[in-house]
Amino acid sequence: MRPEQQVPRNALVWIIITMFTLVAPHVGRIPLWILGLYAIAVFWRIMVYSGRWSFPGRWVKVALTLTCFSGTFFSFGTLIGLEPTVALLLAAFALKLIELVNRKDGYVLLFLGYFLCITEFLFSQDIPIALYSLLNVTLITTGLVALNQPGQHRFNFKTIRLPALMLLQAFPLMLVLFFLFPRIGPLWTVPLKSLTAKTGVSDFMKPGDISNLSQSDEVAFRVQFEGEIPSREDMYWRGLVFSRLVEGAWTSLVYYEIPVRERREKPVTTDGEPVEYSVIMEPTQQNWLFSLRYARPLGRGVMRAPDYRLFLPIEMEDEYQYRVRSWPDTVLDRELSDWRRRTELALPEDTNPRTRQLGVELRRSAADDRAFVDTVLRKFNQEPYIYTLQPPTLGEDAMDEFLFETRRGFCEHYAYAFVVMMRAAGLPARVVAGYQGGEINPVNRTVIVHQFDAHAWAEVWLEGEGWVRVDPTAAVSPDRIEWGLEQAVSGEGTFLAGSPLSPLRFRSVAWVNTLRLRYDALTYQWQKWVIGYEGERQYNFLQKLLGEVSGWNFVVVLLGSWLLVLLPVALSLLSKRTIRRLSPAEKQFVSFCNKLAKAGISRAPSEAPGDYSRRVVRLHPSMAPQVTQISALYNELAYADAGLSAARRADLLEQFARAVRGLKMPSKHQGASE
Amino acid sequence: MQLQALVDHAVTEVGRVLLGKEPQIRLALCCLFARGHLLIEDLPGMGKTTLSHALADVLGLNYKRVQFTSDLLPADILGVSVFDRTDATFTFHPGPIFTQLLLADEINRTTPRTQSALLEAMAEGQVTVEGETRPLPSPFFVIATQNPIHQSGTYPLPESQLDRFLMRLELGYPHPQAERTMFLNQHHALGNNRSPKQCISADQLQLIRQAVEQVHASDNLLDYLQRLVAYTRQSHEFAVGLSPRGALALLDSAKTWAVMNSRGHVVPEDLQMVLPSVAAHRLVPSGDYAGDNQALVAILQHNVDVVGP
Repeated sequence: MRPEQQVPRNALVWIIITMFTLVAPHVGRIPLWILGLYAIAVFWRIMVYSGRWSFPGRWVKVALTLTCFSGTFFSFGTLIGLEPTVALLLAAFALKLIELVNRKDGYVLLFLGYFLCITEFLFSQDIPIALYSLLNVTLITTGLVALNQPGQHRFNFKTIRLPALMLLQAFPLMLVLFFLFPRIGPLWTVPLKSLTAKTGVSDFMKPGDISNLSQSDEVAFRVQFEGEIPSREDMYWRGLVFSRLVEGAWTSLVYYEIPVRERREKPVTTDGEPVEYSVIMEPTQQNWLFSLRYARPLGRGVMRAPDYRLFLPIEMEDEYQYRVRSWPDTVLDRELSDWRRRTELALPEDTNPRTRQLGVELRRSAADDRAFVDTVLRKFNQEPYIYTLQPPTLGEDAMDEFLFETRRGFCEHYAYAFVVMMRAAGLPARVVAGYQGGEINPVNRTVIVHQFDAHAWAEVWLEGEGWVRVDPTAAVSPDRIEWGLEQAVSGEGTFLAGSPLSPLRFRSVAWVNTLRLRYDALTYQWQKWVIGYEGERQYNFLQKLLGEVSGWNFVVVLLGSWLLVLLPVALSLLSKRTIRRLSPAEKQFVSFCNKLAKAGISRAPSEAPGDYSRRVVRLHPSMAPQVTQISALYNELAYADAGLSAARRADLLEQFARAVRGLKMPSKHQGASE
Repeated sequence: MQLQALVDHAVTEVGRVLLGKEPQIRLALCCLFARGHLLIEDLPGMGKTTLSHALADVLGLNYKRVQFTSDLLPADILGVSVFDRTDATFTFHPGPIFTQLLLADEINRTTPRTQSALLEAMAEGQVTVEGETRPLPSPFFVIATQNPIHQSGTYPLPESQLDRFLMRLELGYPHPQAERTMFLNQHHALGNNRSPKQCISADQLQLIRQAVEQVHASDNLLDYLQRLVAYTRQSHEFAVGLSPRGALALLDSAKTWAVMNSRGHVVPEDLQMVLPSVAAHRLVPSGDYAGDNQALVAILQHNVDVVGP
């Protein structure tokens, strides 16, 4: 192999470092044997470098590839999905190292590295990952630079300076492109889903589900209100409406189970003052969105369901941002259709007989529906019911057991029991799941809603009032609604018991709390301006910048800002070099070179005129007389011009120009054998 | 035309003892014709000494060889005054340096003190011993050899002293075919043991030198030379660029090469031929580039356009 095609040791070391930094963020989600594969690949390549082993043979490579495929299949049980494909890609990356023979292979490996760097964003797009990717890009670019510096026989840390400087210089251009360049949707997508479930409210609720969810301190979404932030007690983030009770679990209605005429939302006249806010959801891999009562989305993409909740047609794999306007005082469903009434009254006949019986009795003793609701709430409030994060597990007749025996439950128990009693007494009711409350971040006035704010409550349909929100939890534990979960279970000491190091447990330590809230504010800006910067937001930004967005002024601004960035660079480059004009003879020679270049024989910059002519003659012996003449003339004009009189020089120049003009090109096919 | 025949003859003569190394022989001759000192850097047994012997023979120069060791003193090279009892005076006994061609073997084995005594003589063409300046014979050439492998007990020459050598050559392993011929002729050659004949007389050497002074370097060529030099001074691979002395050495060698090819003017090919030998040991790579100097010169030559601005 020619020395300039070898991979310099310096580049090899950088490539190996880059491989490990690339695989590092994936460690939690790929099987461990892939890390082993990396160790083996690196060891093997180092042994090859030191000359003790040789590159793997063809059959070894085939065997290794098959092993990786089957290993991935057995580790995940499938080859389709986000994690298996990323794992395969990582394995291929490791294997590529042991067949890294020459520089070309190095390029392939490093370009694949850029691709791998992007895969991190499939799992998280947070600030730390973005910063880490910048590091990775710098390292990959360093590898490319090192590949282009042949003969470096030692590891050289300073190699990183050049790519770091280059990337730093590219940064302003990146910003311009990021903010101005139109977002073009993908031409095709492959629906790859992550196999690891995200935490969040699910559309299948059994008693105990929400109390489990409340163990998590992850952020569910962040909200920025346009005006005043509503009080805690009013922030009921509706996400799912559970109308159906099957085998002890609440589920929401699936689209095709709803009759066609019921599928669209009924026309609603809004009452009261609207609240406007924008929400940035963390990825849930589900498609429902959270909003305050009676919400209408602003902007496209978000859909409305007939039970007045918002959803997306696709599942959220990334952060999603949407703007909403809500009218909390609006009356929903003044009239109830027969189908709807039947659905919201349906109860399985064979379970919870005592609860149903209790509902019927209480309704009989109450004067009207409203009084009945109050009676049930009073019962929760006055009898010794306990609000706890650790409810006991319940059997077949879950509500009978809960209401009459254990009397310990979380919000979903109370909502469940309440709705069963309502329905048994003939009052349409349903369970609503979502989040309640949220933490107000004083840094940027956003509301942070955590997973432990997950909540379930009930909605009852009352004659003349439509659907009315009733929260049985508020009757049992008013603290939960007024102060949040931490206060409500403070006596129990179970708040975030599973995550002892969560910064949320150290809210009393002032600096930890300040740091946490400031970082959260930064995350919000990040999600708003970097991750969520597309479509409408970009359009608004451009409108603010340009006044009016039209094709022309967009192009002008895009080019103008590029010019603004590139012009100083160009000027500083131009000022450094002294411009020397080509002499007439050189001009003719350059056009001679250009003519030949079109025929496929271009002159390398370092190729001297004589060498070049000899090469041309060797490739095209038929051109020998012409080329030799041109070469001799140029030689005389450019190098052997001692004592050349002006007249003689002009004469030679004339001859030279004529010779170059008259040069006959060989056909391209002749030159192809080079 | 006559000169070229002369040179070709000399090359063949040397080539009879050092097989398959024509480019190196030509460069070595070029170095001597340009009145420069030559540094040969290679592993033991590659023919360094053979080459220098043969060069001395074909040029008809008287020749001395000094094996440099760590205990060698300046006086061992320059000479020393000894009291002569019969005359009752001090008479100067000249050292081995008073010769036309000095072969300094393994120059990096001796102490800097002795190295600099030699290098001073190389630069000045004279030596000063005990207050008296004595001229060295003319022509005076030094061919130094050194072992490139870093070993304990060696004193690598600093850049400033490397600069005194016009060229640095590496001989490299012979071509397999040449090596085969060598194997076949081993005993035959020993029996024959004919050293190369003198091909170039002192007068002819002077003639060559005069011809070199007449060689024309055009504006175009000087532009190319300046572009090369400027590149070494500006590009980030180089910590230190070529000095004006280095640039002059490059031009002088290129002119000599032109004469050896019986041309009255320098063409870029001449410059490119001598560039690796003349420039490689004068360049210092920067921290951005921790490779060998040969690759560095390759970068230099590759990146500078022969034609145009």
